[in-house]
Amino acid sequence: MEFGFSADQEQLRAQVRRFLDAECPLERVRTIMTSREPHDTGLWKKMAELGWQALVIPQQYGGLGLAWEDLVVLAEQAGMSLLPSPLLADAAAARALCAMGSEEQKERWLPSIASGETIATLAVLEESDDLSENGVTLEAASSPGGVTLGGRKMFVPWGQAADLFLVAAREGAGVSLFAVPAGSAGITVTPLKLVDATIRAAEVVFDGVVVQDSSRLGEKGRAWPALSRVLDAATVTLAAEMVGAADAALRLATEYAKVRKQFGQPIGRFQGVKHRLAEILVDVESSRSLVYYASWAVDHLEDARAQVSMAKAYASIALDRAGEDGIQIHGAVGFTWECNAHLYYKRGRVCRSIDGTPEYHHERLLACQGL
Amino acid sequence: MDFSFSEREEAFRREVREFLAASNPNTGAEGGEDIESAMDRLPKLLAWNQALHEKGWVGFSWPKDVGGGGGGLIEQMILKQECGSARAPMLGLSYMGLAWVGPGIVKYGSDEQKKRFIPPILKAEEHWCTGYSEPGSGSDLASLQCKAVRDGDHYVITGQKIWTSLAMWAQWMILLVRTDSSSTKHHGITCVLVPMNSPGIEVKPIRTMNGETPFAEVFFNDVRVPVANRLGAEGQGWEVTKHALANERSSIAEVTAMVHALEDLKGLAARCSRGGRRAIEDPFVRQRLARMETMIEAMRLTGLRFLTRQLRGEEVGAETSVNKLLRAELEVEIGRLSLEIEGRYGGLAKGSAAVVDGGRWQHQMLSWPAYVIGGGTPNIQKNVIAERLLGLPHD
Repeated sequence: MEFGFSADQEQLRAQVRRFLDAECPLERVRTIMTSREPHDTGLWKKMAELGWQALVIPQQYGGLGLAWEDLVVLAEQAGMSLLPSPLLADAAAARALCAMGSEEQKERWLPSIASGETIATLAVLEESDDLSENGVTLEAASSPGGVTLGGRKMFVPWGQAADLFLVAAREGAGVSLFAVPAGSAGITVTPLKLVDATIRAAEVVFDGVVVQDSSRLGEKGRAWPALSRVLDAATVTLAAEMVGAADAALRLATEYAKVRKQFGQPIGRFQGVKHRLAEILVDVESSRSLVYYASWAVDHLEDARAQVSMAKAYASIALDRAGEDGIQIHGAVGFTWECNAHLYYKRGRVCRSIDGTPEYHHERLLACQGL
Repeated sequence: MDFSFSEREEAFRREVREFLAASNPNTGAEGGEDIESAMDRLPKLLAWNQALHEKGWVGFSWPKDVGGGGGGLIEQMILKQECGSARAPMLGLSYMGLAWVGPGIVKYGSDEQKKRFIPPILKAEEHWCTGYSEPGSGSDLASLQCKAVRDGDHYVITGQKIWTSLAMWAQWMILLVRTDSSSTKHHGITCVLVPMNSPGIEVKPIRTMNGETPFAEVFFNDVRVPVANRLGAEGQGWEVTKHALANERSSIAEVTAMVHALEDLKGLAARCSRGGRRAIEDPFVRQRLARMETMIEAMRLTGLRFLTRQLRGEEVGAETSVNKLLRAELEVEIGRLSLEIEGRYGGLAKGSAAVVDGGRWQHQMLSWPAYVIGGGTPNIQKNVIAERLLGLPHD
């Protein structure tokens, strides 16, 4: 029994930290978030040189063959820096290819994802904001050329930066998953403007997009169980980012409380301030424990839904509070554009509902127990 | 990360399970039990303690040469897990003796003290109470005034203690006294082991809001205690106490009681009608049950993270306040939610004909403050976190 990171993982953490401090401080995040580019290609290339896109891809496809818990080490640090990058969306898509793709499909896509040449993302959610199998209505119809896709996906993570969409489509009674290059005829990508500008998402319309049968991952209409597990893994890295962001918000407010003086005292001496900060720390450490365990669970348990749901629910609550209270502890300075507190607050507000709200995950947790 | 157990640990788990299948007295009526009914089942509990003691499972992690089990942290966790899931009674009957008096004597006691005091703690033959708090001292424990003056080979003790748990039933008290009023606050304090039948000790029960008397005021009128009963050096009492309390905090979070309370709350919600439908169908109730479960699981896992750090030889200190705070929040929430699930019936008092579950939840609702406030209020825990973990200035 050992619930802690290994020396290798600690080394990875330190490497990620050094890189992000040097290459992606918050001034840089601010530049990227106001840029019109779909993502920062310079940063992307540097991360590829360090092998970050290759982290969880098996070695025979040019990857490093590490586990999801290793990616969570990275995700937490990325969250602390509010790293604006498709990195984790890309990793989730790679996991889907690993889990569901044929040998041929893996050989075709994984090496170029590992090298950073191809950015992939999952296109699952639609207008109804329904995360279940029923929520997938984009239609896959048999046609002479193969399969024709018609419909619209919403909130496709980093859709504007993607070279490859893994598209969930209704095919007969079930759901299938197709690998569709972003440049295919009939695809229109419209960036969505999010409250949190450090992350990106797009609306993607598929209007009579023709794909080969060979682009289907796995069996016709049978994709959902495996896809659902991939979505769980993606939810864990999102939750890890949120824990990292909550921790960073806590540190920012704590440093401020040490130097800002009122009534001749640092405000961090007042219980009204220090108790709030202590409460945030309790939330950060508690959600961190849940996220770490869930990151192990998605690789080792047959069904990790309960663990994932608890992790995402608590991480959402933790970052929400850390973001809100972080602003309040800064006083009026806290709601200025120049103060970084709002960046964490916005991240929390938006990520709360990505991959399921706390309420959704609370319900799913009870459903896992037949309640 | 590795959540598997070694062959040896699994074998130990099997041994514990077999033992429990044969010996679990199943008297662990959790929650809602008053002191009198606990006393009724005492003979059964003593037999249980004896059986555990023979196994070396009371004082499991204490050194073998003082009579402990000499066990490791992981086996101790397995033991607690298994007893917890079998809903067996608490491990060992002498709670305070096992939680901090014993470890304090193991570390600071003389050989005579170890020989004299440890075996009766392990066998539950002697019970202890804790003379720390005083009227007015509250969270500022070091402000204590109860004083001891040296007279030959005795200390003569005068003063008062309060909030002394189970003082009426204890044979011994671990007592903090001021032996030097001229030195700074923390340095003039000494720790003494006092027989409760000493002439000059008067115990007055305190009735709490649930109608019971688990606490007492204890008065000392020129009580003479041999100097040989001093634990540690004169003036070292604060250090001894800090060690004792740290020991209490480092014990693996008692998640089991929370897990059982949650299971029982779910059962309650399935039975009770609330506004014309079963409470378990009410989203308000469901959300809170799920949130509770998430917090309990967080507590369990954070405990495992700390345990791993201890196994790696690292110090775990103020961090344990994280789980103390979660536990406090959960205790309060159980008190709230259980009565809300019962709806109008939540207002019935224990003893009423129509009261649900014999009034267990009402009892819990009136009993949690003692657990939440005792041993450091949530506000004090927050100060500890803010000052020691975040580096914020002291009050």
